[in-house]
Amino acid sequence: MAPRAPSQRRDDVPAFVLHAWPYRETSLIVEAFTADHGRVAMVARGAKRPRSELRGLLQAFQPLLLSWFGEAELKTLARAEWRGGLPLPRGSALMCGFYLNELLLKLLAREDPHPRLYAAYERALAELAAGGEQAALLRRFELGLLTELGYAPMFAREADTGAPLDPTADYHYAFDRGPRRAEGAERGAGPRVRGATLLALAEGRYPDAETAAQAKRLMREVLDHHLEQRGVESRRVVQDLLALDGGEGQR
Amino acid sequence: MERPLDLRPVPPGEPVSSLDELARALRCLPGVGPKAAQRMALHLLQHDREGAQRLARALDAAAKLVRHCERCNTFTEEAVCALCRSPRRDPGLLCVVETPADLMTMEQTQAYGGLYFVLMGRLSPLDGIGPKEIRLERLLKRATDGTVREVVLATNFTNEGEATAHTIGELLTARGLAVTRLARGVPVGGELEFVDAGTLAQAVRERRSFDR
Repeated sequence: MAPRAPSQRRDDVPAFVLHAWPYRETSLIVEAFTADHGRVAMVARGAKRPRSELRGLLQAFQPLLLSWFGEAELKTLARAEWRGGLPLPRGSALMCGFYLNELLLKLLAREDPHPRLYAAYERALAELAAGGEQAALLRRFELGLLTELGYAPMFAREADTGAPLDPTADYHYAFDRGPRRAEGAERGAGPRVRGATLLALAEGRYPDAETAAQAKRLMREVLDHHLEQRGVESRRVVQDLLALDGGEGQR
Repeated sequence: MERPLDLRPVPPGEPVSSLDELARALRCLPGVGPKAAQRMALHLLQHDREGAQRLARALDAAAKLVRHCERCNTFTEEAVCALCRSPRRDPGLLCVVETPADLMTMEQTQAYGGLYFVLMGRLSPLDGIGPKEIRLERLLKRATDGTVREVVLATNFTNEGEATAHTIGELLTARGLAVTRLARGVPVGGELEFVDAGTLAQAVRERRSFDR
């Protein structure tokens, strides 16, 4: 039997806070996405005290270096340092950031390392902060996340036959298998989409608004399928905001 | 023949004594767990019956009388709070804050002479707190009364506070109002060497032109 590792201490791990919840009178429970250890939950003792150095530091979207210890699922934060180099996303980019964080919170298992996904997340935040185009960026991240989790959605070819898709034909997208050609008006397994939309998702390029809107709806259904009915709160909040404004959404 | 002692605790579901009920009620306070609640309940009954009576009366009165100001939504005992009724405040300025505590802090600055709107919260998408939960439509109605010229966004500089400010800013500029946001940067008396890097980074990004 392998000897038990001594007190599990990790030092200066690049990380982002995904969300923090108040804990007891003066502490926080922080869910962090770390470069080497995936999603880690830790208690930040005294982080809510007025003069705490952690106050203001344990914010989402800021590159940090976190140190923690503990063997249970809930670790204890030992130190947090500001790493910098990334402006905070603003406005609608900030809303997109909340959405990315919620997906990571709900879909990643704890302490399951995903270094590639971490890099993709960091890239997505940089693009959001730089004011990049949001819809394509969100689709790319959603796909990257599902692929990393082993759900790798298949968009470029037909399920079973492997035949290339016809952009002008309609397909039923079965969540666990892929697209199957829709015959007439018959109801098949999964949502019905155009071949062009599936190809756009495969290539990450959205030539027109209709394709982008259909891609967004399909990805929403695919994600909802994997989330097993645990709704996405940040999506609902954005929808409520749009209803208040009577406007059109970007994602 | 003596019966052996029954050492089992009284099973739950027995009628609750007033003492238990008091301890249980005290647990609604932030940071008060079962142990602390029991200690407080015992203290009140053992050492300070009069304090207990006063606490009971104060709680009862506050819970019955305190409500939200119809204009600014802060706590008051009247329909419209004293600040909103004051003729010395500029009704063309409306400052949006998250909590009554924020309002009081703003007042301490003696730098603001307008009126307020207290959200009693902030948008927090990950906690499922959206515009409906903080009833944003009330603010929209208040800000578009025709008298307000400028809305000053004084929500916190957290991600949630920024998201709230952005959302309100968009909604109100679309309705033709001037919207401003509190400036942020190096604190008064701040020495760069000792300012935290995040604040300084933001101050560099949001630097403004030097006016003589």
